[in-house]
Amino acid sequence: MRLEATELTDEELELQQKVRSWLRDRLPAGSYPLGLGMSGEIDPEFSRDLGAQGWLGMALPVEYGGHGRSAVERLIVVEEMLAIGAPVGFHWVGDRQSGPSIAKHGTEEQKREILPAIARGELSFAIGMSEPDSGSDLASLRTRAVREGDGWRVNGAKIWTSGAYEATHILALFRTSEEKHTGLTQFIVPRHTEGLTINKIPFIDGTRHFCEMHFDDMYLPDTARMGEVGGGWGQNTAELVLERGGVDRWMSIAPILENWVRSRAAVGDRAAEADLGAITARNWAFRGLSLSIARMVDEGKSPVTEAALVKEMATRFEQESVDTVARHFGRTPDLHSDDPYESLLARAILVSPSWSIRGGTNEILRSVAAKGLNKR
Amino acid sequence: MTTRADADLVSTVRDLFSQRCTHEVVTQAEQDGAAPEKLWREVAEMGLHLVGVDEEAGGSGGTILDALAILHAAGEFAAPLPIAETMLAAAVLADAGAEIPDGALAVVPPTADLTLSGDAVSGEAKHVPWARGAAVLVGIVDGKAFTAPVEVTRSGVDASGMPSDDVKINGTVVGDSSRDLLLDGALARSAQLAGAMEAIAELTREYTNERIQFGQPVGRFQAVAQHIVTLAQMATMSSLSVERAGLAALSGPAAFEIKALKQVSDRNATTAARAAHQAHGAIGMTQEYRLQQLTRRLYAWRGEFGLEKELAEDLGKTVAEHGSMHDVVVAGSEALS
Ligand SMILES: Cc1cc2nc3c(=O)[nH]c(=O)nc-3n(C[C@H](O)[C@H](O)[C@H](O)COP(=O)(O)OP(=O)(O)OC[C@H]3O[C@@H](n4cnc5c(N)ncnc54)[C@H](O)[C@@H]3O)c2cc1C
Repeated sequence: MRLEATELTDEELELQQKVRSWLRDRLPAGSYPLGLGMSGEIDPEFSRDLGAQGWLGMALPVEYGGHGRSAVERLIVVEEMLAIGAPVGFHWVGDRQSGPSIAKHGTEEQKREILPAIARGELSFAIGMSEPDSGSDLASLRTRAVREGDGWRVNGAKIWTSGAYEATHILALFRTSEEKHTGLTQFIVPRHTEGLTINKIPFIDGTRHFCEMHFDDMYLPDTARMGEVGGGWGQNTAELVLERGGVDRWMSIAPILENWVRSRAAVGDRAAEADLGAITARNWAFRGLSLSIARMVDEGKSPVTEAALVKEMATRFEQESVDTVARHFGRTPDLHSDDPYESLLARAILVSPSWSIRGGTNEILRSVAAKGLNKR
Repeated sequence: MTTRADADLVSTVRDLFSQRCTHEVVTQAEQDGAAPEKLWREVAEMGLHLVGVDEEAGGSGGTILDALAILHAAGEFAAPLPIAETMLAAAVLADAGAEIPDGALAVVPPTADLTLSGDAVSGEAKHVPWARGAAVLVGIVDGKAFTAPVEVTRSGVDASGMPSDDVKINGTVVGDSSRDLLLDGALARSAQLAGAMEAIAELTREYTNERIQFGQPVGRFQAVAQHIVTLAQMATMSSLSVERAGLAALSGPAAFEIKALKQVSDRNATTAARAAHQAHGAIGMTQEYRLQQLTRRLYAWRGEFGLEKELAEDLGKTVAEHGSMHDVVVAGSEALS
């Protein structure tokens, strides 16, 4: 399997500088709570300001309020935000995957209603796939949507839904018939639909963005359905490419690494310098992989295998990097430290095992990749 | 928008190597301690060993990306030839405005202990790849390019069984050179490493698809499939990184990219060799089987032109002093200049 090297064009480099200087003004160091990559803080105001710059829904079609830009341009914007641990939590899922998915499979009405608001940073999406008895094996989903008049009656439960409580919408996958794969359909569920209750599940680091959802005779009009009845599985699979190949898979601790360098703690310590050098070299290599995958997406390809390969090794590398920084820290970092970088490192230690679970476990990704490789 | 290696050249070279560098040919070269004469002549007639050096300077033309593609293919097929060495030496001579002699060339490793006095260069160098059989030795000391006749003091071989000799150096300066042999060599070796990793990944994939145990191909067992995935990861990352470093070198200074590349490739080589052997079981450890010809090259090349640990220290020092990792990861050498 070969990926093609690519470089940024002058226009792309210009965008990078623009984003960087805007972020410096909008988020001066110390003015915002630091986040670990995609699970950054939820700050709707920041998301709206970002939208006003034209940096949300970048790859969405212009006629739906998007900006018709490329996956590479989106990568450039995203990478600058992750580098400083920006509060991206409110818009992340909608911008990365729900928006593009709706643009592809949504009805005209859904696109007109939802996409412009995603691009303005006004909507927040959560992904309702996992259930208590269906994690890796999504084909065994049981939460059921049954036809009723012009709509659907939904019963069941979802779990591990990141950000559901604060979200304005949930893009959910429900069972609409008995067929394993072709019996699944996607629905756009407004957060405050009657019959939907959401509870928070305290996360290992004490945060409360992890949720479970219960659907008790929840009624959805058919206009909430996204795509064909029974088409949910395929749509979901395509969506995962957007979720797996990106820079967010290896930049979770970018602000911690940057602080390690900036604080000059490694200077003159040969062991620390060696670790720092090895991490930098690998980050450079991973960036090349993400960039090439983004170019492939722009060329209309669907690099499923490539994205799985990258996510699998990048998340392991992120975890190793946390260990490395922690080892050089010299003592156990304090979650409640006044130093925001120390508490961020402490959080990273706690949550890093989740990085190789969310978005598909490494075991599953290895299977996806192995199957893809064997087809070549 | 992005420059690439000449596709026709690449396919010609891959065809040539795939036909000529068979298991038997590589084994024979190892026994002889020399490149197969006929094959080298063929390569030289095509001018492959001088690609990347301008025609006016006596080279075959082409870009550094073409040269890297040739080296990648040479690594892929374990070509028992001093192509990389000749390319490196020729580039130094061309840079110094000196004539490039016919035949194979060897480079004195930049780590050698040398003394420059006037126009004379003297000293000793250990483990000089392909010294024996070279028309002349080429090196750089204090910005001066020199050539030296080949005086072998000890004939040795590297981990892959290819010539690697200790030499005595009595050389003469032939001009100034601003080339950095450590970087040039690291880039070249990384291309060879990546090529070998691609071949190893493919060989392992094919083997585990055919080898039946417990009633099915072993590659179907998840635990074995993991090794296939690891190999694809190491190979893909290494090959892409070679191209990226090559592109960077094409447009300006690329010290960071090349060092990062070699650091990553060395580490990947170790991981890839382990995974491949594990997936193959006993057969991969035998000399009759192709795998060891490739993995032994990984072991040999990862130790030349920069070591994983030294490169990591060097890169880390640079980044620590620069004060930002993000800058360097995103903009590479440009951020450091
Ligand atoms: C931080 C975080 C955020 C998340 N956010 C969301 C979200 O927003 N929306 C959502 O829908 N879900 C979300 N998830 C859920 C996530 O997608 C699942 O946790 C994941 O798919 C694994 O499912 P599981 O936890 O049920 O584990 P299981 O599927 O029960 O797996 C348990 C173990 O068995 C292994 N295993 C299972 N099947 C196989 C197999 N065939 N071969 C080999 N090994 C196998 C797994 O790899 C794992 O090691 C999130 C999870 C985390 C940790």
